[in-house]
Amino acid sequence: MSYFFQIVVSGIVVGSIYALAALGIVLIYKSSRVLNLAHGQIIAAGAFITYYLTVSIGVPIFFSFIASMIITFFLAMSVERIFLRRLIGEPIISVIMVTIGLQSILDGLIFITPFGTENFSFPAFLPHTPLTIGGVSISWTQLVGVIITFLLIGAFSWFFKKSTIGISMRAVSDDQFGAMSVGISVPKVFGLAWATAGLSAAAAGCIIGNITGLNFETLQAFGIVVFPVVILGGLDSILGAVVAGIIMGLIQQFASGYLDGNFGLNGTGDVMPYVILLIILLFKPHGLFGIHEIERV
Amino acid sequence: MSANSWLATGNFYTTYKQEQRTFFTSLDRSVFTFFLVILFVWPLFFPLSNKYMLVVDNILIAIVAVMGLNLVTGFAGLISIGHAAFVGIGAYTVASFCRTIGDSHIIITHFWPVLIIFSGLVGAAFGAVVGLPALRLKHLYLAIATLSFQMIFQWVINFMSFFNQGQTISVGRVFWFTGKVGRKDHYFFWYYIILVVVVLLGFGVRNLLKTRYGRCLVAVRDNDRAADAMGMNPGLTKVYAFALAGFFAGVAGALHAYLYRGVGFESFTLHESIGYLAMAIVGGLGTLNGSFWGPVAIKFLDLQVEHLAEIAGQYLPSSMNLATALKPFTFGLVIVLFLMFESRGIANWWRITKSYTKLWPFRY
Repeated sequence: MSYFFQIVVSGIVVGSIYALAALGIVLIYKSSRVLNLAHGQIIAAGAFITYYLTVSIGVPIFFSFIASMIITFFLAMSVERIFLRRLIGEPIISVIMVTIGLQSILDGLIFITPFGTENFSFPAFLPHTPLTIGGVSISWTQLVGVIITFLLIGAFSWFFKKSTIGISMRAVSDDQFGAMSVGISVPKVFGLAWATAGLSAAAAGCIIGNITGLNFETLQAFGIVVFPVVILGGLDSILGAVVAGIIMGLIQQFASGYLDGNFGLNGTGDVMPYVILLIILLFKPHGLFGIHEIERV
Repeated sequence: MSANSWLATGNFYTTYKQEQRTFFTSLDRSVFTFFLVILFVWPLFFPLSNKYMLVVDNILIAIVAVMGLNLVTGFAGLISIGHAAFVGIGAYTVASFCRTIGDSHIIITHFWPVLIIFSGLVGAAFGAVVGLPALRLKHLYLAIATLSFQMIFQWVINFMSFFNQGQTISVGRVFWFTGKVGRKDHYFFWYYIILVVVVLLGFGVRNLLKTRYGRCLVAVRDNDRAADAMGMNPGLTKVYAFALAGFFAGVAGALHAYLYRGVGFESFTLHESIGYLAMAIVGGLGTLNGSFWGPVAIKFLDLQVEHLAEIAGQYLPSSMNLATALKPFTFGLVIVLFLMFESRGIANWWRITKSYTKLWPFRY
C-alpha cells in the first residue's frame, strides 16, 4: 500500500509542476487567443538564467530565482511586442506557426550556449535526506517545489480575481471591443499576459531544474507534454490547468508505476497522457473546464 | 470571347466544361510540357553526385507529403501537427512487410508499385481514424489531437520490438525491367519514379479542386456551418480530407523507405511534422503550386545553412556548437519572417509575377 501512496505523492509533485507550466499557456491563451508552442523554450531559458546567475555570478539562489523571473518577464514581453503584435487578427494557423518558428529560433539561441548540449545541476541548498511519513518519502526539493508552485498558483489566481490589471485582462478575454470601449489598452494587456506567462515559465523552469537537473531536452519537452494538460483542463481556465495538471501527473506516475514492465510495456508514462487526452476529448470537446464557444454562421 | 486569354481581362467561360479544362490555352499547355520535359531530361545532361541527387529526391518526396498536408491544412483548414506520423505509417507499412517476409522477398523487390499504393491506402485508413475527432473538435483542440497522434505513433515505434525499437529496418533493392537497380543508378532511378508520382498526384489534386469534393473542402474551411446549411456534410468532408492527406503521406513514406533502403524512427518525429508545416506555409497554404515551392525553398535553405556552418566552423572555437544552432535558428527565422511579411507564401510571388507579365507595360 505504501507503494500506492508513494505513486500518489510523486504524481501530485509532477502534476503540480505541470500545472505551473500549463499556467503560462493558459494566461496567454485566455487574453490573446494564442497557443504558445514555444513555452518549453521559455521554461528552459528561465532555468538556465537562474543557473547562470547562481553559479557563474554567485548570486544567492533565492535572489537569482527572482531575477530570472524578472528577466523572462521582459523577454516574453518583448517577444510579444516584436513577433506577435503584427499578427493580431491573422488566422490561427499563422499564429501557431509563428510560435513554432519562435521555438526554433530560441532553440538555435540556446544551442549556441553550452546549455544546449551539456548537463548541469543546481547546487544543492536543501537537506539531502528525504522526508519520510508512514513509508512514503518525499525529497526536500520536491516538497519545496510543490509549496512554491501552489503559492504561485494562488498568487496568480488572486491577481486575476482581484487586481485591476487582472480584471482588465479578464475583460479583454471576454470581449476585446467592449474592453477597448471602457478604456483598456488591449495591446498592453496582450504584452502583460505574455510577460506574466514568462514569469511563471521561469518559476516552473527553476523548480523543474532543481528536481530533474538541467538538461535542455527534458526542459523543453515540458513545453510539449503540457499540451495534454491545458487541453484537458480547457484552454482558458486556470482552475482547469491545476486540476488537469494533477490528473495528468497521477496518470503518468500510475502508468509508469504499474504498467511498465508488466505486459511487455515500457515508457507508458510518456504516452498515457496523450491516450487519455484523446479519449476525453471525444466526450468533452472543450476540455473539463473550457468555455463552450457558441458559433454562429 | 477573347482569342488570347493571356491578354484578356476577366474570364469568358460559357460552359462548365471550359472552366474545368486543365490548360486554358495552347501556350499554357506548351509551356507546361516544355517544363515537364526539362524535368525529365536534365539528369541525363547534368549528372549530379549521389549526395546531391539524394537531396533532389528528398525534395520530391517532401513535395508529395506537403501536397497532402496542404489539402488538409490549406484547403480544408484543419491544422495537423502530426503529418510526419502519417509519412511514418507509409514507411513502416513497407518496413513491416520486410520484417514479416524478409527484405528481399519478391513482393518487395518486384511488386513495389503495388506496395507503394498499398502504403498510401494504409495511410489513408489511419488518416480517417485520426480525422474522427475532427467531427467534434475544432481549431486548437484538433491541432493538439493530431499532436497526440504523433506522440502515440512515436511511442509505438520506439517501444515495439516488431519495429526494431526505432532502429533501422532495411528494405531490399528493387528490380526494374532491366534488372536489379544497383548502387550507381539507385538515386537516379528513384528520381524518375518519384517525379512520375509527383506529376500524377499533382494532376490529381488540380482536378480534385475543380470537382464537387474539392470545393467542399474549401467551403468547409471558410465556414463549416454555412457549408452544412448548403447541404454539404462537414463531418464527412473533414474525415475525408484527413484520409486524403494520409494517402499522400503514406505514398511519400513508402517512397522514403525505398529511397533510403531502410526505415528509421528519426525521420518521422514531431520535428519533421513541424518541418512539413513550415514547407506548406513558406510555399503558401491553400495553393497547389505552393506545395512545390515550399519544399524546394526549405530544403535548399537547409543545404546552404549546412555549407555555411561548415565554413564558419573552421574559424570558430569548437566549443561553440554552431552547426546545431544555426539550423533551427534560420529555420525559425524563415518561418517567422514569412508569416510576418508574406503570409501567403511564395505562391503569392508567383501570382504577382504572373499578373505583372499579363498586364505589362500597363499598370492595371
